[in-house]
Amino acid sequence: MSKEPSAIPLADVLRAANELVSAGLIEDYALGGALAAIYYVEPFTTYDADIIFIATDKTLSAGIPTIYSHLQSKGWRVEREHLLIKDFPVQFLAASGLTEEAVRKAKPIEYEGVPAKIFRPEYIIAIAASVGRHKDLARIEQLLKQAKIDKTLLDDILRRYKLKLPKL
Amino acid sequence: MKPEMRHQLAQLSFEEKIRKVGELIRLSRKVKAQRVRQDVPNYPRSAFRNPK
Repeated sequence: MSKEPSAIPLADVLRAANELVSAGLIEDYALGGALAAIYYVEPFTTYDADIIFIATDKTLSAGIPTIYSHLQSKGWRVEREHLLIKDFPVQFLAASGLTEEAVRKAKPIEYEGVPAKIFRPEYIIAIAASVGRHKDLARIEQLLKQAKIDKTLLDDILRRYKLKLPKL
Repeated sequence: MKPEMRHQLAQLSFEEKIRKVGELIRLSRKVKAQRVRQDVPNYPRSAFRNPK
């Protein structure tokens, strides 16, 4: 096995997100996006990590400037919509509606000894269905084929948020 | 890739999967860099020394 450090400093990202919770800057968070999907399916290329958070302060900016300045003080760099840690881009996205429910119902995991939470596959599918880009449809297909899906939960989420699965 | 192989990869630990994604990123960067090098045309050096 390669001794080279991983190009994805995910443990550092999760540790930083945990610090944001401890510091009271965010209420809760979960790993979403492609990296969350990879937890359940075969690995594929992705170039960033999405941290979806529930803001402590639910004003318009949802505490994003505070999060940015906190992480910048820890050595993170800002590049357009991303924060960079060890040159790896991370996006912090404020949760609302479906994504907020996805964070609250996220699965607790441990990654390299760091406790974290990750979106459940049913929520990843529902969010992908709500976004509907080509890559989201591919993600839905992959999850339905490779992950264990709670159909009752998925149907319930889709019904409550008035979503439909695309024809694959 | 065969579906059975995809299923096997899906069963790997999350840590192992993230390492593999890291390898994919490195590989795609390497390929991109090689393509950029190949795309640079071989102009004669004099063309740069004496621009018109």
